[in-house]
Amino acid sequence: MVIQSDIEAADRLTQRRARMLPTMAVIFIAQQGIYFTTKTEDLTRPVDQLRIAGWLLMSIVLLLALTTDGFWFKPKRVRELMDDEPTRANRADALRVGFLATMVGAIGLFFLSFFDPLEARETIHLLMAIGIGVALIRFGWLERRAL
Amino acid sequence: MPERLSNRLLEHRTERGLTQAALAELVGVSRKTINTVENGVFVPSTVLALKLARALGEPVERIFSLEG
Repeated sequence: MVIQSDIEAADRLTQRRARMLPTMAVIFIAQQGIYFTTKTEDLTRPVDQLRIAGWLLMSIVLLLALTTDGFWFKPKRVRELMDDEPTRANRADALRVGFLATMVGAIGLFFLSFFDPLEARETIHLLMAIGIGVALIRFGWLERRAL
Repeated sequence: MPERLSNRLLEHRTERGLTQAALAELVGVSRKTINTVENGVFVPSTVLALKLARALGEPVERIFSLEG
């Protein structure tokens, strides 16, 4: 028997997640904008190293939030309720759309590279921004629709 | 023409005076699961459909049916 508070807690956190995901996507994409507008050739300055480390950390956290049930510090039962069948279906759809967007982005960058040679780091940033950003927006949109 | 799964979950739930949260508690799922199934946003797995039917004390085919 599931106690009522677990269902209520899962419900409240699910709503929070649905609001949070698109916001996180916007922050993540904006962060890529900062990277491209303040590009530096070498990464010897501590501020640049910190910026890159921040981007990498945020990418990993967002990937984990997308591929796991998230809210890792909440009780197991609440997390199980939050990772219900509709959520798993929404996540699978979001990852599919994110993967497709990444592939379309990669094809676009491939053709762009004939006119403007791209650095590996730039390309990785762009592809990760597209893949993670699109998947987060899609997941958030599907979750909001399901509430 | 594609077939669609229709359900009478809302009808059976309200007949028993259950809220979405109360039914969710009986089945052991989230309220969102009940809401999405009721509104036809999500097609439940066989396991979930059977659990819902058991919680409502009805045969599964009285709650879910194919349309079209």
